[in-house]
Formats: sequence, C-alpha cells, structure tokens
Amino acid sequence: MDEFNDSEIARLLRLKRYEQPPPGYFENFLHEFHRRQRDELLRQPLWRICLERAHSFITRLDVRPLASYPTAAAAVFVCAAIISLKIYQQPETARVALQSPPTLSLPANAEGELNLVAPVSMPILRTQPVRSFHESAQTHRAAPPRYVLDSVPVSYEPTFRF
Amino acid sequence: MIRIIAFEAKMNPSVALPARRISDLLSSGLPARAKSKREAMDHPRTDPDQELVKRTQSGAAAAFDELVIKYTPRLYGLVYNMTSNHEDTNDLLQDIFAKAYKAIRGFRGKSSFYTWIHSIAVNMTLNFLKKRGRRFQLSLDDVDASVQNDKEFLELTATSSPVREADLSELQRRLNEAMMKLSEEHRAVVTMFHIQGMPHAEISKILRVSEGTVRSRLFYANRQLQNYLDEFRKNPVS
Repeated sequence: MDEFNDSEIARLLRLKRYEQPPPGYFENFLHEFHRRQRDELLRQPLWRICLERAHSFITRLDVRPLASYPTAAAAVFVCAAIISLKIYQQPETARVALQSPPTLSLPANAEGELNLVAPVSMPILRTQPVRSFHESAQTHRAAPPRYVLDSVPVSYEPTFRF
Repeated sequence: MIRIIAFEAKMNPSVALPARRISDLLSSGLPARAKSKREAMDHPRTDPDQELVKRTQSGAAAAFDELVIKYTPRLYGLVYNMTSNHEDTNDLLQDIFAKAYKAIRGFRGKSSFYTWIHSIAVNMTLNFLKKRGRRFQLSLDDVDASVQNDKEFLELTATSSPVREADLSELQRRLNEAMMKLSEEHRAVVTMFHIQGMPHAEISKILRVSEGTVRSRLFYANRQLQNYLDEFRKNPVS
C-alpha cells in the first residue's frame, strides 16, 4: 500500500474523538462559566451595566410595532405644538416699559419747603433710574421698576417746621 | 416526462404502464410529493432548543445553563480539534458561551440554535487561530482507553502496518501535527465532517459557503493529509 486512502484517513481522524479532556472537566465547566461571568460583571463600569440593562429592557419591550407611521406623525405634531407655544409665549418688553413713567415729579410745594428751611440752597436732584426701563424690563420682567433715590445729608434735613 | 411516457406507450404498447400506476403518477404521486415538500417549507422542522432559547431570551439564566451543559462536549470537540490545545480550547469555549449569552436576545430563530452556536464557535476559533499564528505548542488530551476496543481502530491496526507499529500516543501526535499543517478553513471542514460527523449541508450553513465549496475543501484537505501522513507511513516510529 502506497499511501493512506480516503477511507483510512477518515477512520484515523475519527479516532480523534477519543481524545477527551480530564475527568470532571465538563461538570466544572458550568461553574467556571458562572465565575467568569460574575468577574466580568464586576469589572464593568456602572454606566455600561445601566446601558446593557436599558438595552435589554428595550429589546424585551419590542418597540418596533410602536414605531409606525401614525406614531411618528403624532410625535412630530406634538413637537411642533410645543415649539409653537414656546414661540408665542415670548415676553412683551415694550409694553412693560411704557406702563411705568420714566420720570418722577415732586409735589408742587416740596421745592418751596426746602428753600425755606435749607441754609444752603440745595438743588433737587432729579431722580434717575439706575438702568433704563427697557433694560430693567428685559431682565426683571415680573418685578416692578426699581429706583435709587439720592440721599440728602442728615444735617441739612429740616428737623422742625414752623 | 409524462408526455414522453404516453407517447412511447402509444408507439410501443410493451412499455405501456399499467393504468393504475399512471393514474397514481398523475393523481397522487407527484402532487403528493409536491404537497409534502410545500408543507415542509411551510412548517419547517422545529428547533429542539426553541423552548430553552425562548426562556433564555425572557431572562431565565437557568435555561441557558441547560444549553451550556448540552453543547459543551460537542463544541469542545470542535474547538479542540481545530486548536490542538486544551487550555486554548477551554478559554475559547468560555468566550463562545459568553458571546452567545450576550447575543441570544438578538437570535430570531432563522436557523437552529445548533447551527447558530456552531457558527459562533467556528468563527471565533478561526479568528483566534489567525491571531495565534504558527507559534503554539500542542497540548493534547489523553486518548480514552476505550479506543482499544473500537472496531475501526482494530480494523486499522489489522490492515495498516504504520498504525499497528506505532503506539497510541505517537499516532495521536502524528495525526494532530498533520491537522495543524492544514489551513484553518480546511481544518474546520475536516473537523466537522470527519471527526464530528456533520453532513455537508450543515457544514455549509455553519460556514455560510456552498456545499460545493465544502466538498472541494474536503477533497483538497484529504489530499494534503495523505501527503503529511506519508512520512508516518514510511517511518511509523520516529
């Protein structure tokens, strides 16, 4: 016989079925599998575990039937409604600024009283808002306009009126 | 074909088939065969692991344990005969089942679980072998003593002088060395066909190649094995 024929090669190769792992290998394989799975799970970062859980949840939920045309159209409609509502709720800044007059007028007798009492003539300083009404209305829409009144020195205040 | 038979029967009454047979052929035979084929296509063979797969997909890890227990010996044989290394086989097998467990939720049952897990095993082993290259050592399992009672082994020792003269471990080493000289793809086909006894159709599904490719790979691998084992034939004891 010159060489192994196909049948002999096939029979020789079939003998390799008798090569078997050590006794108890298959019994321990599952325990080893569980141990490796646990180790791998512990090594994973928390975000990856959460991601996998979420992915498995979505897969189990099977959201594909929900992703139909009417659902998509409804989703688009809802988004459009939300966006349009946001646009129409923009603050009306100009009206807020006009409602409160920008200058303050003192009573007619106030100037006279001051002139009588004060030893030195003190010009009445016109009160001005720290910021313009326009600015204020933009930043503090809900609150009323604020002013800072110039203070008058205590010594010049009239203590008694005759 | 029926037309031809009818024509021949007309021309030559001796070839005329009995009326019952012709009617059988016309009424029951062909449509019945076609019907059964159609039914087989409509109701494909159910996967015996379907229930375990469904339970695993619904989160029952114990069901996957059953699949592991069931397929470990078979997949061990597949991977071991492709790597010829026990330690590599153990690591690979763990990775194969871990990958299968992660991917089983996406398994839609287009093929049987058997084919699916074998595909994973073969692909992962082929990738591993490509990375490992030629730098490795044989780490062989012991040959079970019951081989001495195997009918084929007895026949081989009776008819083949090299097998008779070589001791069992020498025969094992020569066989594994010859296997390792094959390319990874050829080794996979030889392992599945000769050692695991899978049919060509199943191998073609697992490897996603045509049956013709499987057959040609087998033919080529057998020729190569003949050459590699020639040295063993000439010199059984080295």
